Amino acid sequence: MDTIKILLVDDEADFRDIMAAFFTRRKMACHTASCCLEALDLLGREQFDAVVMDVVMPGMDGLACMKEMHGVIPELPVIILTGNASLNTGIMSMKQGAFDFCLKPVDMQELFEKVLLAGEKRRAA
Amino acid sequence: MKNIFSYLREIFSNTPEPAPDPEELKASFKKRYGLFRGLLTANNNALQAMAELEKIYYSGESYRMAAVRSKVTAILVNVFKMIKNLREMSGGRYEELETIFENIGRELDAIFERRPQRSEGPPILPLKEITLKQWDQVGEKMANLGEVTVRTDLKVPPAFVITASATRRFLSAKVLAEINRRLQILDPDDFDSLFKTCEELRRIVRQTPLPADLEELIHLHYSRLEKETHRGVKVAMRSSALGEDSAGVSFAGLYNSILGVDKENLISAYKEVIAGKYGSKAIAYRRKRGYRHEDIEMCVGCMVMIDALQSGVTYSIDPSGEERDTIRINAVAGMARGVVDGTKATDLYLVSREKPHALVYSQLSRRRDGEASPATAASLTYGQIKRLAEAAMTLEEHFGAPQDIEWSFDAQGRLYILQSRAIPASFHQPETVSAEGGPAGEAPILFGGICASRGVACGKVRKIESTEQMQSFPQGAVLLVEHPLPEWAPLLGRASALIAAHGSEAGHLATVAREFAIPALVNLPEALTLLENGRTITVNAAARAIYEGCRDDLLRDDTVKRDVMAGSPVQRIVTEALQHITPLNLNDPASLQFKAKWCETLHDITRFCHEKSVSEMFNFGKEFNFHEGAAKRLVGKVPLEWWVIDLSDGFREGVDSSLPTVRVEDVVSLPMMAIWEGISAYPWEGPPRVSMRGFGSIIFQSTMRPDLDPAVPSNLTSRNYFLISRNFCNLSVRLGYHYAMIESYLSELLTENYVTFRFKGGAADLRRKAVRAKLLAEILQAWDFRIELRSDALLARVKKRPREYLEDRLRILGYLTLHARQLDMVMDDAHMVEHYKNKFMADIAAMLAGGDRRSTGEADNGHDQDTAGR
Repeated sequence: MDTIKILLVDDEADFRDIMAAFFTRRKMACHTASCCLEALDLLGREQFDAVVMDVVMPGMDGLACMKEMHGVIPELPVIILTGNASLNTGIMSMKQGAFDFCLKPVDMQELFEKVLLAGEKRRAA
Repeated sequence: MKNIFSYLREIFSNTPEPAPDPEELKASFKKRYGLFRGLLTANNNALQAMAELEKIYYSGESYRMAAVRSKVTAILVNVFKMIKNLREMSGGRYEELETIFENIGRELDAIFERRPQRSEGPPILPLKEITLKQWDQVGEKMANLGEVTVRTDLKVPPAFVITASATRRFLSAKVLAEINRRLQILDPDDFDSLFKTCEELRRIVRQTPLPADLEELIHLHYSRLEKETHRGVKVAMRSSALGEDSAGVSFAGLYNSILGVDKENLISAYKEVIAGKYGSKAIAYRRKRGYRHEDIEMCVGCMVMIDALQSGVTYSIDPSGEERDTIRINAVAGMARGVVDGTKATDLYLVSREKPHALVYSQLSRRRDGEASPATAASLTYGQIKRLAEAAMTLEEHFGAPQDIEWSFDAQGRLYILQSRAIPASFHQPETVSAEGGPAGEAPILFGGICASRGVACGKVRKIESTEQMQSFPQGAVLLVEHPLPEWAPLLGRASALIAAHGSEAGHLATVAREFAIPALVNLPEALTLLENGRTITVNAAARAIYEGCRDDLLRDDTVKRDVMAGSPVQRIVTEALQHITPLNLNDPASLQFKAKWCETLHDITRFCHEKSVSEMFNFGKEFNFHEGAAKRLVGKVPLEWWVIDLSDGFREGVDSSLPTVRVEDVVSLPMMAIWEGISAYPWEGPPRVSMRGFGSIIFQSTMRPDLDPAVPSNLTSRNYFLISRNFCNLSVRLGYHYAMIESYLSELLTENYVTFRFKGGAADLRRKAVRAKLLAEILQAWDFRIELRSDALLARVKKRPREYLEDRLRILGYLTLHARQLDMVMDDAHMVEHYKNKFMADIAAMLAGGDRRSTGEADNGHDQDTAGR
């Protein structure tokens, strides 16, 4: 399989760095964005296999952002990753078309495999 | 499975319709198969999260709300996926599942988001207007003090309380949401991030502006305190938390009190005390005891500072006394902080509870250290001791329970009560562990100190001198410190025992040790020089003794109960939530109740979706005309009768699909091949042959058990079916009257891999069925299956393991599927059952050890991650 290319959207710089290092170590191409607009901008310029995105961000939140993304690329798998503790956020994310949903603190291996599955789905589509 | 067979029957009986375009069919199948795979993975993830949730709930150890939330969210998300995929597979059927799911989700949300109902009131209350009735406005600590002020003749320094209503105005819902978000993210076992997050949270609180009117009110009430005393009077800002209402939970010393606050600093000190709710020790403690952060609200008492000459702590019943007839007084010169911080050596007085309160014992601090320390000696007069004893008895009588009292004498000799609260019940109950006549075995290596918390524990010594070292403190080690500072409290969740060179049982850390039910010995200076890091010791706190090595004899006799979560809000939440999650009402797919509308729990939904998704894969064949040859009989060197249905890529390429049979060698389904190796590893020995026509008829006919009427008489329903693809296999077997299913998915992604075995007895008498299920469970448990056994229904699972590991598990199941039927004959004979169990275990071990493809049959072999990607 070719290298899976993912886009990571999170407003916390530390978290972005840790995640990017993690995915890069596992031979994935990982790009990051600190907010929705930056992410949409990147998506307009490059192809990604999957998006991993936080919910609570300054400006447009993750769910609204996902909607924008799906408006442009309907089949793009988006994995929502959040510290927002409400149970509803999980179900809402799924209803609005998330590929999967993880609560922080996240099990990295689990997230990694979710990204693999998302990438596989994207390529099959 | 009944539905599957009825579908099959239809497949075989209906007239075939014209087949659609093969390419279209292939694409359609691929899509459906993808949904099916996704559903299987979601099923496994949901079941795993349920098992983990039950595990933490029943472990008796502490768990935190964030972990519970994560698990429940994982369950919800995966169940949602299952419903979605099933509905998509079935062309939009099972709509009622969505309603049921929505309802369960709403119920769970209500359980999780439920807030304690607390009344609103004025933002500030003067102490002299407070009694116990106002506890839900001012917190227990200040309510008690108000009660003392109003209802007894004891003196409390003038004060007012900034109430919970004020706090709610200060920290709005928006600020709290941000705080809670950061707490959810936090891993509290990681001390670096714990300290970092705590610092951030406190900064958020400090930077949040106080509403202007509230700020003015605080200044107004302060000026009233000035009028009662003198201009520029200094005050103490004391935390008084609300919600710490569980019996035996004291939350001692977790929060800040700020002393010597002047007018200019009132507001910042107030914020600082509120921020204390998010101190590292408070967070760690709530987590350990099962409190959500929102269960606790902070109120702040603003109290005139007493110029204390002597201060201390009184227990109206000496907790360490065996006779329960003395009052215990620890005293120091100056303010009381040194007593509760464990930093100052204290004077100790034991006084009779009976009037006229004779002094029965005294020990001044200088004698304890071996050198004079006149600066800290309180040197109470007998008159003072007597007044303290009388005050203790008054308070005990007023509150109706033994009290733990903080007090000060001012320069004029007036006694002020600074705090009075009940001693946790577990602490003043009579001693049950005898310290007398130590047990046989080697003598202690160290003896002495004060028992601050009873119990016996063993572990390696780890000395902690700075907060930087806390991060490296290992789980289960014995914590050795010089002073029992409250700062070490987060470690008590991990420590097996506490030893401190200094301090007394009145210190906060000692209190926390008692609540965590870990043994604690304090005031044992020799420990610092005698015990080195890494040495394994056993602490018997009640006997005030430390032994070399791990003393099982002592640990066995330990009677101290540990149920730190009992009665806590988090435990209540999980108890309620589990009712909507784990009970399984839909057990038997053949039952009339096996319908979407009968699903009551999330577990029911997973079971239902799984079953129906398997049916839907058959349905596909029905819709698109599997011709009669879809189910192919397995031929070759084959015992019994087996049928195989290829869902996709399960046969070698080029196999003639028009033939009614398929050879074993033409099957390329990874899980089926492994099962088959187990089935064919040993020749089948029984039951007695009644017909030479074929093995198949034997086991499925009632000749074996003529006492029972077969529930499933038709030939078709009694066949053994493999449903396969390259990575997937679902084998359903009717063993006469019982039903077994093996299902597995094997791929290179660990997250998808699993093996499941279901076994359910038929119409036989329950005892015999249960014996068989139990025997199978025991064997599978020995091979690391996770077992759920309810009466005669057995569910055994392994998942997220490398392919090779799971293939061995499938071989075991294949073997058992074939050979366990011999048990039917001998189930009443315990001796024979044992004989078969041993034989099965030996056969399996030999089978796994002997395989050419496998280097070893060790159960742990499969842990090797590198084998997964082959």
